[in-house]
Amino acid sequence: MISSNTASTLSTEDISVWFGQRQVLSDVSLTFPANKVTALIGPSGCGKSTFIRTLNRMHELIPGAGLSGAVYLDGQDIYSESMDAVSVRINIGMVFQKPNPFPTMSIKDNILSGLKLSGRKIDNAEELVETSLRRASIWNEVKDRLNDQAISLSGGQQQRLCIARSLAMDPKVLLMDEPCSALDPGSTRRIEETIQELSSSMTIVIVTHNMQQAQRVSDQTAFFLADDNTPGGVVEFGSTEQIFNGPIDQRTNDYVNGHFG
Amino acid sequence: MSFAPRPPVQPWAKANIGRRVQVAAAIIVPATLTMLFNVLTGLDPNISLIVVFLPLQIIAASLVGFKAYGSRGIGDAILVVVTIFFSVFVLVLLLSVLGSVIVEGSKAISWQFLSQNNRYVSPTTSLDYGGVGHALLGTLMVVGLTTLAAVPLGIAMAVYLTQSQSKTRGIVRTFTQALSGLPSVVSGLFILSIIETTQMGRSGFTGSLALFPLMLPTVARVAEEALRLVPVDLRYAALALGAPNYRAFFQVILPAAKSGLVTALLLGLARIVGETAPLIVTVNANNGTSWNPFEGPMATLPTYVYNYLSSSFMTSQQRAWGAALVLLMLVAILFGLARFVSRSKSLKSKPTKKRASK
Repeated sequence: MISSNTASTLSTEDISVWFGQRQVLSDVSLTFPANKVTALIGPSGCGKSTFIRTLNRMHELIPGAGLSGAVYLDGQDIYSESMDAVSVRINIGMVFQKPNPFPTMSIKDNILSGLKLSGRKIDNAEELVETSLRRASIWNEVKDRLNDQAISLSGGQQQRLCIARSLAMDPKVLLMDEPCSALDPGSTRRIEETIQELSSSMTIVIVTHNMQQAQRVSDQTAFFLADDNTPGGVVEFGSTEQIFNGPIDQRTNDYVNGHFG
Repeated sequence: MSFAPRPPVQPWAKANIGRRVQVAAAIIVPATLTMLFNVLTGLDPNISLIVVFLPLQIIAASLVGFKAYGSRGIGDAILVVVTIFFSVFVLVLLLSVLGSVIVEGSKAISWQFLSQNNRYVSPTTSLDYGGVGHALLGTLMVVGLTTLAAVPLGIAMAVYLTQSQSKTRGIVRTFTQALSGLPSVVSGLFILSIIETTQMGRSGFTGSLALFPLMLPTVARVAEEALRLVPVDLRYAALALGAPNYRAFFQVILPAAKSGLVTALLLGLARIVGETAPLIVTVNANNGTSWNPFEGPMATLPTYVYNYLSSSFMTSQQRAWGAALVLLMLVAILFGLARFVSRSKSLKSKPTKKRASK
């Protein structure tokens, strides 16, 4: 697969997050090494999705949002004054929980939209469309209808289209916020295969509620938890093998074995 | 496994013959009784429609409803009868307004009526001479000038109200809502006071100024609703791809809100195209054709109608009806045009050959 960018290492240092006066995350420090897949697990409301949105500066779009700490992309703080949010988001792509293709555009235009939206020149449009769709394992399903409206696709296809749209930007890091939560087992499996293939060319962070999925796709896992009325935080962080088969913390053990959450 | 196509079935749409006869009877019997009552007493049919027919119809429908569904059927029958009765009532009112304009107006309409001006027309001049061409042109120019200013500004206001997180949005929204309640004659008087104090002289342009505060809040409010309907997910999707705010707006949000924004334009047009009072006080009437909206008197369709409607001469009144019909047709054409323009763009990307996805 063609990829001019190389994967980057992403790391966070003491990330704390507020909505208004309410603190929802406290002191999260994690490292996402290049070419590794990291799964973020934890019960609903523990701040996983909020955390993943701080990694490409989407969090600040919410009115009343607050943040302290730092996020380093290859050693550079993405929240420093010399970085602007737009260039951060070009390098760190994101796939959302709900498929959100642009409804006014065709399948092809959706793939090219990232380049157009970030004001970059498109050479080899055809090739880029095919490569991106192939990498998201949806090419065979849509190759004959590239000019159809994107919303004519099924939910699973739309989600893979959104992944392809992110891939067309050739990001160094790809963030995925529960990308399979609304999909059937077949689509989920194909997206998981896609993740495995992509990890050779980028760093991937994925939020998931599905324990089996975390075990299947990730190299390392972080377990988030928020006790009643306290900000969420990371309870345990280590290799996926260790988190699922020999967790140190009792709460991690209870969660991965389905005793709560 | 063999498959033989079968016609579709709608089990919920079945109504047996007996029920249909009952419903028909529940309409025919009250109608007949009402007519009999009218013939016997000589009561005004309009009154008996409400005081005789409606109660009889409700009773008849309730009986049928009770027979079919028990006590639940009575409430259902009353609601159905009252709803249909008053819907038809309103529909008839609307259609009769439209119908009378079309019937009366079409007597005056001709190519010459649409194209000629009013210069050598006296109250008794035959309808074969003169027309509303000058007023049509004037309305297009006055309304056009207002639209040129109010639509971009109104949409800009809507963008500010929906896309920014500014703290003054509440105040702006409140003032916009207050402005949309502004009586049109007050707007006219306001511009009149400016005309008097600055000695700027009346023209089509001062009329446009008087219409501007009427159109702006309508466009702004409808456009705000249209932009608010665009899911925030789309904006996030665009921003997550590295789009600056302005590109996310112009390439994603604006196309998604397009038909709503066209509606904003149309409702804004509808708000001002028939406004009479502000134009009477700010524009001098003109019987000749004027191509310059910035200087001198100018005729418009609503003021033309107003001037001729009060006349006691038959031909003058018919000219007013004719002008009213021209105004209605103008609105219909503008609406059709706007809808056509906003639709043709989205049809551009036609689906290519369909194939099963797997």
